[in-house]
Amino acid sequence: MEEILKIENLKIYYRNVSGLAKAVDGVYLNVYPNEILGIAGESGSGKTTMISGLVRLVKPPAYIPEGSIFLNYKRNGDLLKVDLLKISENEMRDFRWKIISYIPQGSMNSLNPVLRIKDQMIDVILEHSDRSREEAESMVPNLLRSVNLEPNVADLYPHELSGGMKQRVIIAMALALNPKVVIADEPTTALDVVSQMSVLSTLYQVCRKVNASLILVTHDMAVHAQLTDRVAIMYAGKIVEVGRTTEVFKKPFHPYTKALLLSIPTIEGEPRRLEGISGLAPSPTNWPRGCRFHPRCPYSKEVCKEREPEMIEFGPGHYVSCFLYGGE
Amino acid sequence: MKQTQLDPKLIIGGIIIFFLLFLVLFQPLLNKAIIGDTNPLTVGIFPMYEPPSLRHPLGTDRFGRDILALTLLSLKYSLIVGAIAGAISTIIGIIVGFSAGYKGGLIDTILRGLTDTILVIPSLPILMILSAYVKALNILTMAIILTIFSWPFSARVIRSQVMSIKNAFYVDLAKINNMSDFEIIALEILPNLLPFLGVSFAGSVVGAMLAATGLEVLGLGPSGITTLGMMINFAIGQGALSMGKWNLIFPPIFMLVLVFLGVQLVNMGLESTYNPRLRR
Amino acid sequence: MNKLKGIFKHYIVRRLVSYFFTIFLAFTLTFFFFRLVPGNPIGAFILSMQQRYSTGVLQSSEGDIVERYKEMFGLNGNLFTQYVRYVKNLARGNLGPSLTAFPTPAQKLIFESIPWTIGLLGVSVFISWLIGLLIGVLIGWKRDLLLSKVIAGLAIFFSQIPQYFFAIFLVFIFAYVLFVLPSSGAYDAFLRPGLYLKFIASVLRHAILPSLSIILASAAGWIISSRALVISILNEDYLIFAEAKGLRPFTILRNYVMKNVLLPQVTGLAISLGFIMNGAYIVEWVFNYPGIGRLMTNAIGILDFNVIQGVTLLSIITVLTANLIIDLILPLLDPRVRSGQ
Repeated sequence: MEEILKIENLKIYYRNVSGLAKAVDGVYLNVYPNEILGIAGESGSGKTTMISGLVRLVKPPAYIPEGSIFLNYKRNGDLLKVDLLKISENEMRDFRWKIISYIPQGSMNSLNPVLRIKDQMIDVILEHSDRSREEAESMVPNLLRSVNLEPNVADLYPHELSGGMKQRVIIAMALALNPKVVIADEPTTALDVVSQMSVLSTLYQVCRKVNASLILVTHDMAVHAQLTDRVAIMYAGKIVEVGRTTEVFKKPFHPYTKALLLSIPTIEGEPRRLEGISGLAPSPTNWPRGCRFHPRCPYSKEVCKEREPEMIEFGPGHYVSCFLYGGE
Repeated sequence: MKQTQLDPKLIIGGIIIFFLLFLVLFQPLLNKAIIGDTNPLTVGIFPMYEPPSLRHPLGTDRFGRDILALTLLSLKYSLIVGAIAGAISTIIGIIVGFSAGYKGGLIDTILRGLTDTILVIPSLPILMILSAYVKALNILTMAIILTIFSWPFSARVIRSQVMSIKNAFYVDLAKINNMSDFEIIALEILPNLLPFLGVSFAGSVVGAMLAATGLEVLGLGPSGITTLGMMINFAIGQGALSMGKWNLIFPPIFMLVLVFLGVQLVNMGLESTYNPRLRR
Repeated sequence: MNKLKGIFKHYIVRRLVSYFFTIFLAFTLTFFFFRLVPGNPIGAFILSMQQRYSTGVLQSSEGDIVERYKEMFGLNGNLFTQYVRYVKNLARGNLGPSLTAFPTPAQKLIFESIPWTIGLLGVSVFISWLIGLLIGVLIGWKRDLLLSKVIAGLAIFFSQIPQYFFAIFLVFIFAYVLFVLPSSGAYDAFLRPGLYLKFIASVLRHAILPSLSIILASAAGWIISSRALVISILNEDYLIFAEAKGLRPFTILRNYVMKNVLLPQVTGLAISLGFIMNGAYIVEWVFNYPGIGRLMTNAIGILDFNVIQGVTLLSIITVLTANLIIDLILPLLDPRVRSGQ
């Protein structure tokens, strides 16, 4: 199956007072049509920075020194391949929202405070299609209903909505143009547990309905377990493991993945102690030499201190970059 | 390698301020260099209306006074008046702002009402009347008069700062630790307020200088000394505008603009350093 | 919803009470202040009248005349009596006779000056605001252009120059160097005021330099504030989201930036206009412009109580009323304030 997005060697750096931070340092990832891909990792792993790269909204002082994001799509029956990082902003605008849309972290502030909800939903429809204003307006009630919101929300202003409602408005907007890829950045942080459940299930249903791929970025492993088809584990600016979620959870390969999974409390089974990960998270200005996890890894060997492991397919569709599985 | 991002505004502003302070501190020496041991205010020493030359870099005025020396002396006095007014303003502002911000309640309402009332009264007429009709208008009395309308600005701003610090977490911790009010103010609030007070003082000085210059240009200044505003007033009175004698009128204006500019740049630079989002 | 209305009404009442109370307090303070200033305006006035009109000096009934004049100006009796009398007259719209142009009542002089001040300041402040808004938004939006940085730097520089410096500078250039624009008065002295073209043209010609002084000084401040506002908006999440939506830059500028800039800036404009009655004293002095500022400067020179008090009161009321209107209208305009407060 042809991937719809192919991320190749994506790097995003930025300068701060302590030096050059290599927040994203060579990420390779494929996104397939109609799948829900999770990206997991602690804060500071580079997840959010990577998303800003995926939607090409990297703002100074951050910049993209190298990398490609290839988009494979059909236009008028032809199969075209485009590097989203190399095209002009005008051309990129064509892809924005129609092909790739985005649900930012902390969606609370992503709504324009002085526009009514319906006006904010309509402007993107009008921008990317030939519909008239009346047609666009008529689409709004359905969009709101699809995220379980009453149509009268359309006439309200953002501050009149609760956090969960705002989140759902953003989701409705993200799917308004039937995009191929939706990227959700920590959609459930800052929400209470009940809203979390409902937002996640809404997100799931709507993506499935319009056949969009969902890239779901969150540190919450439980969310990945429930929702994603495949999951990629990110550490220190790189992907260290990626595979089908059920596989990764049942048989985690990378020591970091194992540690992450041990940090989820379970309701069933034997009570066990929650384990943390020893050591401190490394700093993007000073990634450890060799394998970046080696200072905190209980299984580290000599070679881990010297070289960085390659990404190897160690199981069906299950990749890992760790010297425990070869590559020495 | 650590890279400290100092906003260029801060640097330029700082240079300007240091330059001005240098001029003020070394004014006697500079004066000596320009016109020897004479007081710049002395009338009739040099020829009148001399155009700028090597001997008198900015020329002389109608009374035969060297403009450059006069400007330096005026700068000094303008700054002194501003500094005294600024200091008194800030002190009153601290007292009022602290009481209102820290105690809150009725005291706050009363003080705020007083502050707002004074802010509403047009300052210039009152200042004009006071300067015109007060018997002994010297540096100190002028400074005191100027404080009448500048302390509310100080007080208002200090009050809101105190309130935001008061509501900060660590003050509650101090209260739990049974520290007395005085200890809290001295140990927790004041240290956090100090940098802010410095900026507030600078703002008061500039505000006072602005008001003082306005009054002096209209002819209402302290007697016996010369200030930048008074120089402007003399220049206009001597008909500099219609005679085209730019050297009489622009040096004091230039100095004033430097003062205002320097302080403003430092303010903006500091703000930008502490709020990196504004930088780029 | 009714609860909100209740809170709002409570707010209105408190606001109105504070409004009237502040007017009362400010007025009372200034009233007693003016009357306590040492100086004998009546004596000086009588002297000037004598010099103008009489050939001899009346000595025997001088005390009598002084008393009669004091009565006319409302300066007899103790301060409290004067206060009460003044307030009573005020209620009838009578501010007492002026000293500046006796026996013309103070209110007439003030009302004659008001249009000139409103015309000069009102228009100048508005134009400054508009220039500041347009230029500020543009240089905030395109902040990395060299031109933007240059303009921003110039604005910082200009904002520190008081209005009257510009006035002086302009008079210098146009009166001495070029002989093009008039630098004194509001209209050519030989014209009679009226609504005809020659007069209007003359008024406009005379207003150019004074308003230019004000505009040059004030526009810079507005440029800086508009620019800062735009920059802070550009950092907001909803702006980045708008970009992610692929909206055209112009759409973003119009609906996301401008709309969020307008409300604070219009509020600022309203507040600035509230300060109009404080006049541009020195500018009017330099240009001999017949507005409130010049009236006051002359009145202070001779301690014309009634004019001074009248103008001060006018100024206080204007500022407070402007702020009151803003406080009452703001909830209606800003949807956030409506529900938040």
